[in-house]
Amino acid sequence: MEFTALLLAIAIVMLVAWRGPRPLALGLFAAVMIACVATYLHHATDTLKLSF
Amino acid sequence: MTRTRAITLNALSLYAVALVLTAAFAAQLTLHELPCPLCLLQRILFATLAIGPILNIRFGPRPSHYAMSLFAAVAGAVVSTRQVLLHIMPGDAGYGSALLGYHYYTWALIGFVAAIVLLAAILLLDRQFDDTAPQPASRRAFAQAAVWLVIGLTALNVVSTLLECGFGACADNPIVYELLRRAA
Repeated sequence: MEFTALLLAIAIVMLVAWRGPRPLALGLFAAVMIACVATYLHHATDTLKLSF
Repeated sequence: MTRTRAITLNALSLYAVALVLTAAFAAQLTLHELPCPLCLLQRILFATLAIGPILNIRFGPRPSHYAMSLFAAVAGAVVSTRQVLLHIMPGDAGYGSALLGYHYYTWALIGFVAAIVLLAAILLLDRQFDDTAPQPASRRAFAQAAVWLVIGLTALNVVSTLLECGFGACADNPIVYELLRRAA
């Protein structure tokens, strides 16, 4: 679910970058990057039965 | 490099991102290999890489827009490096099938590192930031098509990922589209 949300957020940031105000696009981009890093850290610290 | 050429280069970089997203989709649909969580995160970061060029096309080239793409490329390189390292032990067959001898995450690492090098190289060209000449209409259409192509492919990925993962956590080793399985 988090990956669907991230992709949806990126599509929205792209639309804002193309049509909306620049400061909003920059702010949303920063939020998405933080969410990506958080998702990665969650995955990297999770105990996995399989290695992917 | 002039502003017009820089914008054309940014449009070309969007077509490159579109090619990567299309290739990932093609592998998913033709080989019936669903992307794992780390693979999805790499796709997400390839899409994030496109936000800087979109801003460059709309507002003109700025170092801050290239910096955004650099952040996305570094994050993508970290994620793909992790996946390469997860499968580095001798005897490990790797995840998914290989393309020209390399698995998709290895290609992703090569792609992200290439993006970092190219972004650093384009940042060396200062004239693009001073030039204020308007963009010719023909090149504007070329760039606009690139922007909508990348947005469309990202939207398709939203649908595909929703079908794959459903409303719960994505499986570590996905073999079926969770939402379609539930509906059946």
